[in-house]
Amino acid sequence: MEIGRFPTVLESIDAAVSVTAFATGDLLFAIGAGDQVVGRTTWCRYPAAALRVPAVGDGLSPNVEAIAARHPDLVVLYRSQMNETAAEQLARLGIPTVTLAQDRLEDIAEAARELGRVSGHKAAGDSIGAAIDALLQRPPPAPLVRVTFVVWDNPPMVIGSGSYLDQLATLAGGSNVFHDLAAASATVSIETIVARNPDVILVLSDSTAPPAYSARREWRAIRAVREGRFIMLPADLFGRPSPTAPAAVAALRHSLEAEARK
Amino acid sequence: MKRWLGLGALVALALVSAVALGPAHVALSDLPSSAIVRSLRVPRALLALLVGGSLGVAGASLQALVRNPLADPFLLGLSGGAGLGAVLAIALHVAGPWALPLAAFTGALGAMALVYRLGLVGGAQLDPRVLLLAGVAVGAFSGAITTAIVSLAEAADLRNAFLWLWGGLSGASWDTVLVMAVYIPVPLVVLYAAARPLDLLALGEEPATHLGADVEPLKRRVYIAASMLTAAAVAVSGVIGFVGLIVPHITRLVWGHRHRALLPAAFLGGGALLLFADTAARVSVAPRELPVGIVTALVGVPLFAVLLRRWGARG
Repeated sequence: MEIGRFPTVLESIDAAVSVTAFATGDLLFAIGAGDQVVGRTTWCRYPAAALRVPAVGDGLSPNVEAIAARHPDLVVLYRSQMNETAAEQLARLGIPTVTLAQDRLEDIAEAARELGRVSGHKAAGDSIGAAIDALLQRPPPAPLVRVTFVVWDNPPMVIGSGSYLDQLATLAGGSNVFHDLAAASATVSIETIVARNPDVILVLSDSTAPPAYSARREWRAIRAVREGRFIMLPADLFGRPSPTAPAAVAALRHSLEAEARK
Repeated sequence: MKRWLGLGALVALALVSAVALGPAHVALSDLPSSAIVRSLRVPRALLALLVGGSLGVAGASLQALVRNPLADPFLLGLSGGAGLGAVLAIALHVAGPWALPLAAFTGALGAMALVYRLGLVGGAQLDPRVLLLAGVAVGAFSGAITTAIVSLAEAADLRNAFLWLWGGLSGASWDTVLVMAVYIPVPLVVLYAAARPLDLLALGEEPATHLGADVEPLKRRVYIAASMLTAAAVAVSGVIGFVGLIVPHITRLVWGHRHRALLPAAFLGGGALLLFADTAARVSVAPRELPVGIVTALVGVPLFAVLLRRWGARG
């Protein structure tokens, strides 16, 4: 028996537990399957309606017992090593699972189609898939400004081309100065950021205040930090790859255009 | 004298390569005027020297204090305390550019106080064996609390706190260098002043007492001064392993067991090792950077093995 793969015969499901950081809100709710969701992780926080679903633990190592207690027809898992173990355990309990990659925008298109098919909302799933495909197929605009995503300051971590954030930036007209790094994120020296000299620093944060490190002297060696050129990206749009990607791209485009005029 | 000249040359070479090499290309003729060199490379090199030196001296002193060659500045619970402080600061959203180092420093001092108190459990005397056990226990306990906070918290930020704990010198600036340069001379002088009694302590507590060492105050002074050095190091650069363990052994192989020579040699040796390791961490996989603790182990352990064969054979 193939474990953790997509169940082959599953006409429709009445109860699904989401053990992924986003599938509950962003996908299951977006395709109209919100009523069928009987469990979520504490990290599944979007949309607001998802918070009414009972949580079954966090997204790191699934609490198999708590998931089984919700009597789901299907468990949606993020594709990771730890979740493969959980999928095996759930399979032994006779609970089908589907593991979905959720790292890049194209994963979202595929996940929307698969979840639409198993939950009986095929049209809605296909429509989200098509919207993401269209976004990705659009020729990217000419770069307006050079950007760096700084996702952690000590050690300094930046986003490389493996991440959906790099995709969002490219689609919005931002050229990621660390696009040459194939990884999703990587530790670099502040010196490297200074040398690559981005125009704008992109920060994942719901706050509007510049990050605390911008007051530290070593960070002020970076021109964009000295000039206070930060764009704060709120978590609901930018915190994970999601069906709201077109809105995220439009919002980022707007901010980048404002920066380009400076 | 030849050994000291050699060590001095090694430190100078380490300093020059740390300033001349980096992931960004700076032409040799531009080195003095480059902003990257002045505001990033030079302070980072000086911080590496000060942190590596502090860890070397703290390790040498603690190994003498607990008379255990496995003693490491972080074995006495300080890394656990510092980590807990840092994670709490992130979890409670303590703001400010210096929040993390200050919280780590406070956590390390808290662990130090707790270990010290536990070390006195047997009476008024500080028992080195109890001190070691208390250090391991406090470290494990605060590590467990830290892990619990990180795994229960929803903020992804907290998982990154572990990255900081692995150690690194990316927080280096003239501010950090200044703080360290003002702070570390006091514990360093205290330890150097204890050099002769530490030699006696190596013979055992009873013989040391008979030879005129005031053993109890000595143990307390050494423990507190070494911990203060380690706490400052962990606050500015996280937990950088192996320097405090390996460097004292290397210097002991070359300079012998006299602390008057051993402690300065451990300072310079620790500084040189961390300088070379940090340069390698910055340059070897550029534009990415390695955690410096990995490099100190990769550089330090083979070096130790070579010296062990060369000097260890002489007995």
